[in-house]
Amino acid sequence: MTISPSITSPERRPVRLVGLLPWLFAAVVVGYAMVVGGYAATVVSFALIYAVFVTGLNLFMGFAAQVSFGQNAFAAIGGYLSAVLTASHGWAPVPAMLLGIAAAVLVAAIVGFPTLRLKGHYLAMGTLAIGLITYEITVEWQSVTQGYMGISGIPPFGIGPYEVTSDRGQLILLSLVVAACAFAAARIRRSRFGRALSAVAGSEEAAMALGIEVARYKLLAFLLSAGFAALAGSLFVHVVGFVSPEVFGLHMVIVTFTMLYVGGIGTVAGPLVGALIVSLLPETFRAFKDYQDLAYGAVLIVLLIYAPRGLASLFSPRGRS
Amino acid sequence: MTRLRLEGVTRRFGGLVAVDDVSFDVPAEGVTAVIGPNGAGKTTLFNLISGFLPPSAGRITFEGRDITGRPPAEIAAGGLVRTFQLVKLFEDLSVLDNVKVGCHLRGKAGLFAALLRPASARREEQAVEARSRELLAFAGLAAMADEPASALPYGRQRMLELARAMAAGPRLILLDEPAAGLNTEESAALSRIIRRIAEDGTSVLLIEHDMTLVMNTADRVVVVDFGRKIAQGTPAQVRADPAVIAAYLGTGKPSADKPAVQEAPHG
Amino acid sequence: MADWSYIPQVLVSGLGIGCVYGLIGIGFCVIYNASGIVNFAQGAFVMLGGMITHVLFARNGVPLPLAALIAIAAVAALGVAIERVVVRPLWNRKATMFVMILATLAAQIVVERLTLIAVGDQPKTLPVFTDRPPLMIGPVAIGYQLIWIVGGSLAIVAALAAFFGLTRTGKAMRACSINREAAALQGIPVSRMLALAFALSAALGAIAGILITPTQYTAFNVGVPFAISGFIAAIVGGFGRPFGAFLGGLLLGLLQALAIVGFGAGLKNVAALSVLLLFLFIRPSGILGAAK
Repeated sequence: MTISPSITSPERRPVRLVGLLPWLFAAVVVGYAMVVGGYAATVVSFALIYAVFVTGLNLFMGFAAQVSFGQNAFAAIGGYLSAVLTASHGWAPVPAMLLGIAAAVLVAAIVGFPTLRLKGHYLAMGTLAIGLITYEITVEWQSVTQGYMGISGIPPFGIGPYEVTSDRGQLILLSLVVAACAFAAARIRRSRFGRALSAVAGSEEAAMALGIEVARYKLLAFLLSAGFAALAGSLFVHVVGFVSPEVFGLHMVIVTFTMLYVGGIGTVAGPLVGALIVSLLPETFRAFKDYQDLAYGAVLIVLLIYAPRGLASLFSPRGRS
Repeated sequence: MTRLRLEGVTRRFGGLVAVDDVSFDVPAEGVTAVIGPNGAGKTTLFNLISGFLPPSAGRITFEGRDITGRPPAEIAAGGLVRTFQLVKLFEDLSVLDNVKVGCHLRGKAGLFAALLRPASARREEQAVEARSRELLAFAGLAAMADEPASALPYGRQRMLELARAMAAGPRLILLDEPAAGLNTEESAALSRIIRRIAEDGTSVLLIEHDMTLVMNTADRVVVVDFGRKIAQGTPAQVRADPAVIAAYLGTGKPSADKPAVQEAPHG
Repeated sequence: MADWSYIPQVLVSGLGIGCVYGLIGIGFCVIYNASGIVNFAQGAFVMLGGMITHVLFARNGVPLPLAALIAIAAVAALGVAIERVVVRPLWNRKATMFVMILATLAAQIVVERLTLIAVGDQPKTLPVFTDRPPLMIGPVAIGYQLIWIVGGSLAIVAALAAFFGLTRTGKAMRACSINREAAALQGIPVSRMLALAFALSAALGAIAGILITPTQYTAFNVGVPFAISGFIAAIVGGFGRPFGAFLGGLLLGLLQALAIVGFGAGLKNVAALSVLLLFLFIRPSGILGAAK
């Protein structure tokens, strides 16, 4: 006789409800931005784009416990391909975005093979180098990227004559994309594939001993993460209509890590919650842009020391010891 | 029928010969034990068999196929699964999920199955769930299925590692000191479980210091000392073998030969 | 487009920047050997060395040598502060290596931004230490600042060799790098060694920054590129080998100088980073083989 696990132990019910809190928080924030529109909508839109990126980062770093300081490279590839193809070559946004994602995944496959064999600080520095090389190329390859000037006049998303130009339209579109990403992450987590990633995270030796091809799963998580990054990069350029090298610079690395740790690394809701909180906090201070990165850096250090599992882990149904 | 055959297997570390020209067969039936004093090269031998170290010389065949120096995941996929002397659980996962990871080789769902969840993937997942719960019950862990693995007491962690390895459906399971750190009662329970695994058709090869466990559980014993095989036979034969007695006299009585100092993990 | 007759001249200036990369690389090794930590805030020390000297000298009229000494001491103090506030708490919590790297990178950003707020984003520079026309050796001009850089770096390398080889403290630090547990059992105060390593490494970074600033400029954001070049130097030399790192720095400096002739100044960082990737993929243990 089998009993459904949800009713075997009564104390599990409140846990389930607590698990919904992060989503409720996100829904309230997005709903508010939808009603107010204007600047609030812009800020929340950026947060949602970051959420896509951080969701991908989390697959690689949270689920599989690998290290990459260079995922901004893939956002840059996705973003610039979208920008160049649409603004300079008249492509429609959707095929440009798909090509951008494909290109980023392809590049990730090429650099991933040698890079993922590295360990520890070699891997950290190797991936950081890949991010910086991409940045330098976006600066220097002026005939295509227009250097520091950046590319403007990038069309908004749309299919045929229908374009998403309004704040609210963009918010709805981005919310759908983020929901799809979170759904994908949740499904991956509870699957054979996701369990293999957790195994790689837990003990590579034990994973190997159980027949899991560790190198292959690391690479797959890396490709997946690169795909999310490219999607975020492409979303950014079409929502803003402009791209420059600074968008995908070292700033992005620090901001996204802060988001990942604020929200809770390894959780499904963490990336979204982290992206929203980290994007909104400076705004509530009405703050000066100069202090932003300073605050991100300081918050990140404090979190790493005092709450290495992030805020969403407080709501996570599976308590960590 | 021979399940595993070692022919002249040797492993050198620099000038040190950790495993020196060792040959023996592991038959399909029953439990085979490798014993020997601390530092005799038993764990190195296991690492060679399971692919974690390539041998310097010699040949290892599993069910007639040459597996010498193949990668660990491939050897596991071929039906030869090991456990570790220092338990290596996935501590952040629940007890149940640990065993589900063990089912990895029995499934084939990939990334797209994870995202789209077609009917075949759902069926596979149900089978994994059922088999994992069955194995937890077998290992006496059914009540703790949803606990994080790190919350289990040590003895239970060992049982979990065993259940997880069995989930892979091996035809030969290598157990690296499964009784290390267990009390007498737990050790006796472990002995029964190992016998049952063998009776259900999985060959067992174990390394052990706990002589009571070996004498009660093993059908055949291989004795190594200084990396060389010095004796082989039934537990009774081995116990009476002068070479074995001599080897153990240097390090104390066999029954008292609990490892006082664990070999420190490297790194 | 490349004019190859410049090559000797280019190599000479590459030698100068190479010494600086080498000093920074040694800084990485000193901390790594004492603790196993790779300190990604290394660039902050380089930037602050030049910046603090500039502020003292140009704004407050402190004589240049004194300004430089104060800057070195201040940066060493900052090194200890980062060790106490960021690294030590994580160390005590047995944080993973990745968390440690991320935290030190965050510390780098914090220092960078504080500097931006304090002095603005305009590039600053220092006067050359000896203001005389360059020495001419055939067609090659050798500026006095280059002599300062190379001479100063060599003097520091020699001083370090003496420190590690002759003094009790230096030997104790080396013992820590060989085996921390054994060193602790010998009564060596391992945690004080960690603070000392950060101070030493920060001072090295500051000196590198002060030496190089007169030939180029310093600004709040020059740290990360310098740190990466220093890291590459350390990798090329075999990570954890201080003198290998110096050699690696020289090689990198020369290579980068050639890359500037070949591909233009814009791609010099790409060239350096490509060297890094090449080494990581093909020979991660460096030309001399990594320590331990």
